[in-house]
Amino acid sequence: MQFLSPAYAAFLFLGILPVIIHLHGRRRAQVRKLPTLLLLRASNRRVAQRTRLRHVLLLLLRILLLLAIPLVLARPFVETDSDLPVQVSQTQRAVLIFDDSLSMMYQPQGELNLGKATLFERGRKLANRIIDALPQGAEAALILGSRGGEAPVGELTSDRTRLYSAISALRPTYRATDLPSAFKRATQMLSTQRDGLRRIYVIGDTSAHALDGSLHPPPETEVSLVDVREGKMLPNCAVVDLRAEPASSMGPRAVRVMAELHNFGDEPVKELAVTLLVDGQAVAKGLVDLQPRGQAMKRFIHILPPPQNQTQTPGNGEAQVTQGAGLHHLAVKLATDALEADNARHLRVDVQAVLRVLLLDGDPRNLRRDDEAYYLEMALRPSERDDSPLQLVTRSLDEGLGSLSEFDAVVLLNAKAQDLSRRGIERGLIEYVKGGGGLLIGLGDNVEVDAYNRVLAELLPQPLAVIKTAGALPNGPTGEGESSTQGPGEHIGQLDRHHPLLQPFLTGRSSESLLSASFARYLLLQPTPRSQGETTAILSFESGAPALVERVVGRGRVLLYTSTLDRDWNDLAIQPAFLPLMQQIVRHLSRAPLQKAETETLIGQTRDIKLQTGDTRVEVTLPSGKTRLFERLQGRKLLSFGETREPGFYRVATAGETGVLKPRPSEHFVVNIDPIESDLQLAPASRLAALQRPLITQEASAGGKNPRRRVELWHALGWVLLVILLGEALLLRQK
Amino acid sequence: MTSRLLDLPSLLRLQSLQLRARLVAEGALQGLHKAAHHGSSVEFAEHKEYAPGDELRHIDWRAWGRMDKYYVKRYEEESEVRGYIVVDGSGSMGYGRQDQLTKLDFARLLAAALAYLLLRQHDSSGVVIAKEAGPLYIPPRAGPAHLGDLCRALEETQPEGRTELGDALTLLSETVRRRSMIVVLSDLLPPPPLDESVDYSEYLRKQSALLRAKLVSLRAQKHDVVVLQILDADELELPWTSLTWFEEVEPTLAGHERLFVDPGDVRKAYLAELTQFLTETRRSLREGDVDYALVQSSRSPESVLLDILRGPLRQKVRR
Repeated sequence: MQFLSPAYAAFLFLGILPVIIHLHGRRRAQVRKLPTLLLLRASNRRVAQRTRLRHVLLLLLRILLLLAIPLVLARPFVETDSDLPVQVSQTQRAVLIFDDSLSMMYQPQGELNLGKATLFERGRKLANRIIDALPQGAEAALILGSRGGEAPVGELTSDRTRLYSAISALRPTYRATDLPSAFKRATQMLSTQRDGLRRIYVIGDTSAHALDGSLHPPPETEVSLVDVREGKMLPNCAVVDLRAEPASSMGPRAVRVMAELHNFGDEPVKELAVTLLVDGQAVAKGLVDLQPRGQAMKRFIHILPPPQNQTQTPGNGEAQVTQGAGLHHLAVKLATDALEADNARHLRVDVQAVLRVLLLDGDPRNLRRDDEAYYLEMALRPSERDDSPLQLVTRSLDEGLGSLSEFDAVVLLNAKAQDLSRRGIERGLIEYVKGGGGLLIGLGDNVEVDAYNRVLAELLPQPLAVIKTAGALPNGPTGEGESSTQGPGEHIGQLDRHHPLLQPFLTGRSSESLLSASFARYLLLQPTPRSQGETTAILSFESGAPALVERVVGRGRVLLYTSTLDRDWNDLAIQPAFLPLMQQIVRHLSRAPLQKAETETLIGQTRDIKLQTGDTRVEVTLPSGKTRLFERLQGRKLLSFGETREPGFYRVATAGETGVLKPRPSEHFVVNIDPIESDLQLAPASRLAALQRPLITQEASAGGKNPRRRVELWHALGWVLLVILLGEALLLRQK
Repeated sequence: MTSRLLDLPSLLRLQSLQLRARLVAEGALQGLHKAAHHGSSVEFAEHKEYAPGDELRHIDWRAWGRMDKYYVKRYEEESEVRGYIVVDGSGSMGYGRQDQLTKLDFARLLAAALAYLLLRQHDSSGVVIAKEAGPLYIPPRAGPAHLGDLCRALEETQPEGRTELGDALTLLSETVRRRSMIVVLSDLLPPPPLDESVDYSEYLRKQSALLRAKLVSLRAQKHDVVVLQILDADELELPWTSLTWFEEVEPTLAGHERLFVDPGDVRKAYLAELTQFLTETRRSLREGDVDYALVQSSRSPESVLLDILRGPLRQKVRR
């Protein structure tokens, strides 16, 4: 047995103190006369045996106590053969790369025979043992192996205390592994040393994702992988993706939440509990079976609560709807397993309070019922109620586009191509759609096929071909270039039953009025050029000609209705189906009920928080409840927030000139973990061997002394000390 | 009432036992709400019809003249109380805390006060002091001058040696024929055994039983026996906490025996033993029609005397 602080062992002689005190006390004890000594003798004889035993025990305990205190302070230890790499005991300069990524939070279950400690805690012990085993004079540094990880000991040092202290201060993070960066840093440190053996110890879980092909051992440096999992397979399930989209068939506020679940283990997982949480409350649960190394999509449909239309009146007196009134924090969570951190994924959804629709009227009329916009207005705002979820703005082309960013959908009604190009409207529409907007194009007599194909080529799902007249028009003769087919008119014949827009028309008799509408005239379309990508015919006539076609352009989408949106060419506008169809189209284009999807922020990534004029302070509340305050932000438009260290929902509050912090829901955001960390598949042996390529021969390495493992005894002694104290207290209480 | 009593420190400052006894007695009498002084020592009490044997000098001739019958005057001085006060002078009675009365001091004061009260009412009072060399017997006499003799004997008594209270009781049993009042002031603790190998509990039980038997036999001789067992608070509580050498007060063959013990270890058992001893004493004395009271020596002597006057001596001492 040896001591880390042998000076304290010199105080072991204190163990004799209780005996000395006892003997001295016996001699110096006070003498008292007592007339009732006879009674005392009689009673003492009865309890003497028990008292003597207690006194002996007390004396022994006190001797042990005084022996244990210096022993604990002296920190005794014994040395045994170590399971560390044999190279540890060689003279060297070493950099310890400690993997502090999310996967190290894995807490092995009992059957893995790894104990109950997390991989991180096991790694910390191994790091300490490596430092213990390094020979005298060896220098070492400590680097973190996660993305953006720091270097707790950033230069080579032989100061063991500093290294132990740095290892003790390590904490697991939610970050992903980034060994290439750590290797680069380690190489820079070791390159300052020309002589001697240079070695990198990677203390981690040796998962395949961390040790992929992009990782190359630095030249003239040996790499030792210290596997904290001891080669064991580590099963794990995780939520790797979470999305939400409108579920129109269930109502205007229904969303479909899709969680992608993965089983990264080699055993099937039966009936894995999956929970959907909205704003922290569990609203739905389900069970999923996952095949070995398989994946599954768990779908929930949930009707979000209606947004509260809180209006505020800014300085100009114009009422505006507060953004974020319908903001929700969605999360999908799995039942607890060995790696808890990846069992949940978060999503921010913003339910639209109001859909803002712009009607661009290409053929405005004085007589309202002759105007396309009239029918659309009646369909989208049937009773002109103030609380209608749709806000309509009708503009003629002469008024120009204005700012399209404030609209969720735009409807172009029977516009002339030259009017569009003359005012630059087509450019505005293209930018709007590519930026994520939705556009419905309704045709009519103003449409010139060639000009349309030329001006709106980037937006049209398919180029226009020719106008087809299938029946007698309510008024007006046929024009040139029109097909001359005459007849009773066409009807809708085919519905894309999978398209979300048509979900309300699939059940019962709801589609009857849609199918009964008579189309006297419509435009035939040319085949889709391959360069335009795929288009979808949502509605088709009985003849097979498309009636409603969709195309995704950039981040937005365009719907082309091949007839008029009034009664000029068809009577759909006066059919009961017209109202729900137009409502569905507008909601589909604007992705209602959800606002535009935002880009996912992962742990460690920077999040830009938009500032408004007058913002002077910003407070960000982390999922854990901690807050970060940023001040003196006058004049700045963006705040780059980099402390995305934990997954969950981040809340943003800003302070304007008044100095009072107010929540700004529009800037709330979620942060998720990188799903790559969930896959704990062990790197193949060949890969491990390639990374650990030795630079010295086996014989040379065999010349080094076997590393010794230090087993510290003072912890156990500390417990003994506590037990002694407890025993003494109990004995004293028995008086 | 207690405010009228003399406090202990003031009492200790008085050198004369006689004076102290008088103060204690007067204080007790004040507590009885009665004038302490009656004036003349011989006062008429009542008439009684003459009967053969009555002294002729006590016939009230005036009454004969008026009623033609012989009446005899009765006086208070005719009281025939004869009091014996037994004081235990053994070594164990010398115990007391510093600045406090020892048990013997306490007993002496009570004895002198009682004697004063008896003599004050023209009764006779005697004292028996149990000493190692044998009991000191001062026969009862009436008259104020006798108080000085009693106090002197009491003052000269020192607590010493192994004392057998039983010897004093035997002396009384053999000497006193006439019905008397016997007040015993003692801690009733037997002397330590000479042989250390004895069973202490058994020894204590036997010795106590012998002593109680003697007391009961006195009562059987028609004496009014009052036993005041005087113990110190230390004896009743064993208040110490640190390891202590406890020494026997009365010597054995080997000198003063010692016992090294932690009072905390034995307190519970000691108090149980003491309680059993006291309970047994009280029970057996009361069964033998002997008045008994346990008195703590830290109490005010006046209050103890007052309790006695209100209790067992109510009929014996006039106010």
